[in-house]
Amino acid sequence: MISSLKRVAFRKFRESEVQLHELNYLFWECTTRCNLNCRHCGSDCSKDYSYPDMPVDDFLAAVDTIKERPENFTVVFTGGEPLLRKDLESCGRALRKRGLRWSLVTNGHLYDEQRHISLLNAGLGALTISLDGLEASHNWLRNNDKSFTKVIHAIELAASSGRLSFDVVTCVNQKNISELAQIRDLLVSANVKSWRLFTIIPIGRAAGDQELQLTDDQFAELMDFIALQRKGKQIDVKFSCEGYVGKYEPLVRDSYFFCRAGINIGSVLIDGSISACPNIDRSFTQGNIYRDNLYEVWLNKFLPFRNREWTKKGKCASCKDYKDCWGNGFHNWHGDMNDVLVCHKEKIEHAAKNQH
Amino acid sequence: MKSRFIRKILGGLSFTSALFVFQACYGTPQDFGNDLFVEGQVKAKISGLPIKGIKVSVADNLQYVTTDEDGKFSFYTEMIQHLALKFQDTDSTLNGLYAGKDTVLADVTENVYLDIILEEK
Ligand code: SF4
Ligand code: SF4
Repeated sequence: MISSLKRVAFRKFRESEVQLHELNYLFWECTTRCNLNCRHCGSDCSKDYSYPDMPVDDFLAAVDTIKERPENFTVVFTGGEPLLRKDLESCGRALRKRGLRWSLVTNGHLYDEQRHISLLNAGLGALTISLDGLEASHNWLRNNDKSFTKVIHAIELAASSGRLSFDVVTCVNQKNISELAQIRDLLVSANVKSWRLFTIIPIGRAAGDQELQLTDDQFAELMDFIALQRKGKQIDVKFSCEGYVGKYEPLVRDSYFFCRAGINIGSVLIDGSISACPNIDRSFTQGNIYRDNLYEVWLNKFLPFRNREWTKKGKCASCKDYKDCWGNGFHNWHGDMNDVLVCHKEKIEHAAKNQH
Repeated sequence: MKSRFIRKILGGLSFTSALFVFQACYGTPQDFGNDLFVEGQVKAKISGLPIKGIKVSVADNLQYVTTDEDGKFSFYTEMIQHLALKFQDTDSTLNGLYAGKDTVLADVTENVYLDIILEEK
């Protein structure tokens, strides 16, 4: 009874969030250069290296169009690998001068003590580092035999800072699913407080690589693992926002599934395109900072993000959970958009059937 | 204003304040931490001239910066009740030779500007 009331209230809450559509979270795809050559490249970032890095002043001019900024407005530097840029600190300081917060997503390869210090000095507030398994499986995914050692050093540095709001993300795949408990122990021993797990979207280089995708049974195993960890106190473990997980809502996160792309999350992409999360199909671009006013685009466009009715097709057309899912995470719509790329709930249901 | 109020009520009914703390799959957590902007200038006691190359560091923390040509420095650091800063001449005689100094900032809640005078050795 209480849980269904909560669910109804949550649906209303989500509608009010759409109405308000406050821009809280702005990704900046500041480079598409990268120092690694990951197996899943292109599934969570652009893999087009042909663009030059966007000049800081161009990005700041776009940010300056945002007239009403919520208190917790954050700019999230992403890539490619943002640490390949030497001017992140000057951009960060310029943002802080404007009263804004900023954060960074990195593969950790270049995150050494000097860079840690200079980023903190420039007012870095939050940080996410990717760790994709124990040594062999991490280095396998990252295609680099030194990556693990470097990333562990980066994680220890970041975890030593009382200032940073820091978490580690792991993309779970065939190679590391059996290592989750050991990875947890490793993170706990490195003093990490927060760990987020996600799966790899089958696009980019990941599309044809079966080892990167979890079977339905493994996906359910992942949900059980997270739900169980959340009962403990050692480390805050959660599933990423990536999809609606049916009977596991809201056991694997702090709240129910809600894809906030284009509702609270926007982005300025490498070529100036204005969109939401960088893993979203680029055909959903809503404008370009070199032609349009970023804030006007945010206020007046983004219609496919704020009304998801168009996702009622393919398996979503007749889904009884549509009201809670809205066609899954926006990034699950790619290419011809005839059907959702991944339905997490379906995977869970298939796994339950396999058990019987 | 009204819609923000309704949002809070609905958020409260359906879950917890966790609703207002979110992150995208590939994004970072949100930053609700407090920090402090420390800036200032380091000068020599007798000559009154700015000193370049002084290491300004935060105690119990890895953070430090070095003063520039004008003896100026600035950085953000974690807001703590008693922030201990060290000023040290670490480049030997390169920019002159000065005695170090320790300063503790107590209960600072806003950005601070520090004028630091170091004695010539
Ligand atoms: S079929 Fe579509 S709407 Fe239904 S749970 Fe799956 S992704 Fe969500
Ligand atoms: S598109 Fe939605 S589900 Fe996907 S990363 Fe962005 S907010 Fe999360």
